[in-house]
Amino acid sequence: MALPDTLLFQHQVEQFVYAEVRLLDERRWEAWEALFAEEGTYWAPAAHDQPNPEEHVSLIYENALLRKVRQQRFKHPNAFSLQPFPRTSHLVSNVMIDQEATDTSPLVVSARFIMHEFRRGQPNSYAGAYRYELVTNDGGFLIQQKKATLVNCNGTLTSSAMYF
Amino acid sequence: MSELQPAYRQSELSELVEHDRVHRSIYTDPEIFDLEMARIWGKTWIYVGHESQVANPGDYYTTTVASQPVIMSRDHDGQLHVLFNRCAHKGAQLVGDECGNLKEFRCCYHAWRFAMDGRCVSIPLEEGYADAGFTKDDPAASVRKVPRVGSYKGFVFASLSEEGPDLETWLGGVASSIDNMVDRAPEGELEVVPGVMRYEHDSNWKFFVENLNDMMHPMIVHQSSSLTARVVAKRELGKDAPLPPALEIISPFTQSYAFFDDMGLHAFDNGHGYSGGKNSIHAAYSDVEAYNEAMNEAYGEERVKQIFAVNRHNTVFYPSLTIKGAIQTIRVVKPVAVDKTIIESFTLRLKGAPDELLKRSILYCNLINSSANLVGPDDQEAYLRQQEGLKTQGNDWIPLSRDINSDEELEPGHYYAKGSSDLAFRNQLKAWKQYMLAED
Repeated sequence: MALPDTLLFQHQVEQFVYAEVRLLDERRWEAWEALFAEEGTYWAPAAHDQPNPEEHVSLIYENALLRKVRQQRFKHPNAFSLQPFPRTSHLVSNVMIDQEATDTSPLVVSARFIMHEFRRGQPNSYAGAYRYELVTNDGGFLIQQKKATLVNCNGTLTSSAMYF
Repeated sequence: MSELQPAYRQSELSELVEHDRVHRSIYTDPEIFDLEMARIWGKTWIYVGHESQVANPGDYYTTTVASQPVIMSRDHDGQLHVLFNRCAHKGAQLVGDECGNLKEFRCCYHAWRFAMDGRCVSIPLEEGYADAGFTKDDPAASVRKVPRVGSYKGFVFASLSEEGPDLETWLGGVASSIDNMVDRAPEGELEVVPGVMRYEHDSNWKFFVENLNDMMHPMIVHQSSSLTARVVAKRELGKDAPLPPALEIISPFTQSYAFFDDMGLHAFDNGHGYSGGKNSIHAAYSDVEAYNEAMNEAYGEERVKQIFAVNRHNTVFYPSLTIKGAIQTIRVVKPVAVDKTIIESFTLRLKGAPDELLKRSILYCNLINSSANLVGPDDQEAYLRQQEGLKTQGNDWIPLSRDINSDEELEPGHYYAKGSSDLAFRNQLKAWKQYMLAED
């Protein structure tokens, strides 16, 4: 018996989110980049009530061009702070559809994440909320914005380079 | 460490910094760190905050001076105060959060109340102290103010020492870097905008402060970000396409030795100094037409040319504050331990300037000062490796001797050298030594 459409849709959304963070953990940057819509942005705010990425500082706010710089830097032989290259493990849960897409607004999905990182011989742990704005594309999804808000985004943080 | 038996005798301290070299222990020894807290950070002018952070009566902002919690507050008559963040009663921190607005302070423990200037307003069951002759009007019932507070064009500093030069005398030649940042506002005023970034460095505070005017490192340390930005720009946008603002910010970090040499270094008393002058890596940002118009209207074209002709890179107000006037960001140094430092970054709005200017400052902060940025972690990697490397017995000394005999005294107390000189290090460590050896 076929699943009801809503369950199937929830499943598709979850699979998309899992696949997205898996690409980060597997360092498949080109494939990850292909998940973004042309104007898609990645945003890690520096405050919980941050109204937008333009009028307030952010930990990361990147369009396609800046993401290319970051990903290209990953491969640079003189990126000393990335030697050895950090390993990450993203765990995503609580995936919920907050808002269905309309003609003028994207599908909004929220989730919670934990990212463990092993960098410079030290384990680090990051946790927070994801908010995805997704547009449909050939039966799949493209990211208009991925927002990763750390629970301690406004706290004191050490160096990091990976996408949360 | 006991004051009666200091870990270092004066003669031993004196030997750690010579004119042309510095001993590794000043970066690695926790006892030196304790002495620095007492003799440098606990004595000289330390940056507290900007007046715009407490713009309105009842506003307060909490921070530290020499690791001691303090409150910067504005009372209901508009006066600014810097108080120790300690209830006059049992010593509980009076304010727990970072900022806010209050009618008065109220201690969470026994509800002693204090005006925004620290004066005790009420003590529950005050009559219980009658036999002791103690009342809320006793000076000991009030929250203590830090010994000295000074404000220069909105930049508030405090000193935990009753004595010493006044703020303006102490600032000397680097006051002009604040002047220039203020002058860049069409309304002649700056405002700190919400959003502070706190970036923990697992390394000594002096590595960060010294690196700001180390002009021999950018073209090496920042290859992975700056050269990559250039390559990506060329590939994605075309060879001669104008750079978008983000890449305008990252690309210049790998300018040539000749470029950084030409920027130059300026050094003044008390360890202060700046790099850049007429030129810096912030000089080639695209014009914002509406901003130029607002500036011309406010100051007249001649004066605006003079203001924009000053283009400094980093100005160090030794030891606690570093500013970038040309891009309106400041970084505040908070030493935590001999191998731990928190760097706080603030962004400032030029009052009367179009929003694009603030957006560019914010973009700069994201790209350069954020803990997840593309540029700074490679600086920090260098400090971390210094912190580790200097633990070894490989060599006790670090040279300070590049271009040691080439300093030019432009005017009394104002020294100049080309960018690749060690002038900034020698000058900072000269002040370090003076502070550390000063008798009480």
